[in-house]
Amino acid sequence: MSRVNTVLGPIPAEELGLVAVHEHIGYGMPGSELDTKWWKTPEQRYEETVPKLRRFHEYGGGTFVDATGICNGRDVDYYRSLSAKTGVHIVASTGFVGGDTALPFFARASVEYLTEHFVHEITVGIGGTGGRAGVIKVGVSRGGRMTDLDKRIYRAAARAALATGVPVLTHLAIDAENAIAIFDAEGLPLDRVLFGHVDDGVNADKTRDTWIAEQGGRIGFDTFGYETELEDPPFWARPRKERLDHFLRFIGQGHLRKVLASADANCSPLGWPGVKGHTVNYIFEDLIPDLRAAGLDEAAITTIFVDNPADFMTIQK
Amino acid sequence: MTGAQTAGNSTGNTVNTVLGPVPAQELGVAAVHEALLSVFPGAQYGFDVTLDRAEIFETLAGKLKDFRRHGGGTIVDSTGMFHGRDVRLYETLSRTTGVHIVASTGQGPEEMLGGYFLTPQTNPPTPWPAEKFADLFAKEVTEGMVVPRVERRGAAGLVATAATLAGMTATDESLFRGAARAALATGVPVSIRFGNDAVRDLEVVLDEKLPAGRVVVGGLDRRDAVAAGAPFEVAARGAYVALDHVGAEGTGDTEDDTHVTDAERAALVIELVEAGHGDRILLSSNATGVAKGHPANDVAYSAVLTTFVPLLAKQGLGDGDVRRILVDNPRDLLSVR
Repeated sequence: MSRVNTVLGPIPAEELGLVAVHEHIGYGMPGSELDTKWWKTPEQRYEETVPKLRRFHEYGGGTFVDATGICNGRDVDYYRSLSAKTGVHIVASTGFVGGDTALPFFARASVEYLTEHFVHEITVGIGGTGGRAGVIKVGVSRGGRMTDLDKRIYRAAARAALATGVPVLTHLAIDAENAIAIFDAEGLPLDRVLFGHVDDGVNADKTRDTWIAEQGGRIGFDTFGYETELEDPPFWARPRKERLDHFLRFIGQGHLRKVLASADANCSPLGWPGVKGHTVNYIFEDLIPDLRAAGLDEAAITTIFVDNPADFMTIQK
Repeated sequence: MTGAQTAGNSTGNTVNTVLGPVPAQELGVAAVHEALLSVFPGAQYGFDVTLDRAEIFETLAGKLKDFRRHGGGTIVDSTGMFHGRDVRLYETLSRTTGVHIVASTGQGPEEMLGGYFLTPQTNPPTPWPAEKFADLFAKEVTEGMVVPRVERRGAAGLVATAATLAGMTATDESLFRGAARAALATGVPVSIRFGNDAVRDLEVVLDEKLPAGRVVVGGLDRRDAVAAGAPFEVAARGAYVALDHVGAEGTGDTEDDTHVTDAERAALVIELVEAGHGDRILLSSNATGVAKGHPANDVAYSAVLTTFVPLLAKQGLGDGDVRRILVDNPRDLLSVR
């Protein structure tokens, strides 16, 4: 049986449709909830979020994978209401964006506890919401190298992925040698791991995307739209053409079956201003047109946005 | 009084409690370093951690009533803004039990902070400076304590922070300086828990020109601090000396067992009084009413009154001194200036 956990329950992978594989309903660093400068009323949050999800649905989007980790403002009750009201499937993550977003309770936890926690959120539910996680988020802390805590989280994620069959999604693909060593040691096949953000402006040069793909990993070009051409670009922005060329070059090397693409946008950011004008719908409004203009056929586009994510997201049990 | 800032007359002053300002004279016996609901940061998300408000309320109400029954008047929850503080629950507890509850703003040490303060989304990710902490903490006094992403409620009565045990880090120093500036701007006192050097850590907040009489140094009944003579040095600088692990019967045998015994603590109180520091001493237990995600310190809030005061009396401390330590000193500290 093909099955993917969404916040409203399992669905068949065949129903995922077009998947935005690395997105955020709203992201905030842990502790940002204490700073009133970022607070929004529930009315404002829905107002900022619902039209983007509705538009996503109207464009033909099927599934929105929320890559917001534990402690980053992940709010599964809210996601459930958004999904039910907009018709967009929403997949929530367990895990952490990076060790530096894990609060002390988890930072001090053992690999065994972290594993048990992730498995619980995947098989029983997240808190009392009833919603189960469909993917495990891991990542590299600020600074460019995996910290000991990052490594513990990767190891726990590998074990939880093996135990439950859900895949692993990474924030950053730098220091991949260490990541892959952990996945190998735990026996997790690398096609269960999406190495994300290979395309971001800060780290693209340092990211061994080809090498990761050769090892069997999946590759996420998933910060599409964070462009230096924006009115107020973030520090991880990159010239639009440079990213697109990178993506096309990578596909041209025979890695079409390995790539996934997304926009990493916030519908309604929680602890930062967000980036004006950047939404998940960049996929439909800019990226897919750019890919067509570059000569990619519909089959290739379907592979990137439908088939590859379905393979990746399907619980392997 | 040896070199201490004169506390002054608290008549007419008020203290910020969760139910609003209360005349300082009404506090009664006050325990300045306690925890009501203590949640290790992040434990609220732990799959095996349950937070049953009704059960938490019942437990805390029972402990507060016991405190009151033994003559207690005011509990200060000195856990800061990010360790399980639940202002609305504390309001209800105060109304139900008649115990005044003072809640605190502040956070620390560095390890207890969220990534928002340590690795912000800037390049490079520079940790927060003192000025930003000062603003964050001061607003919890002037505008009310936050219920995250929902609302502000009553004013914080204290800014509490702590240094890393191995020694104050750069971010700890920003927290200390921020706490001192928030106290200066708002008139509430500062509570510090030191790292590996009580006097040096105290000097950081004094360097911000905060009068020593607006500072309480916690944990001065730690074995290392007692051995170093820190309680006397802190008192000599005019700050309040909190011997705040009453009920901890440390033998020094294990790593966790870092505090002196009640008998040693009582002897220390007598020595401090004899040295003229009777107006600087505070007693508390650092009890955790309900602890989630970390081991509880399951001492009754009433332990000071039921077990420690008799010990002091036996060692010859007079009623006047006892009252000064339990009532007058916390009143002077907590009065908004």
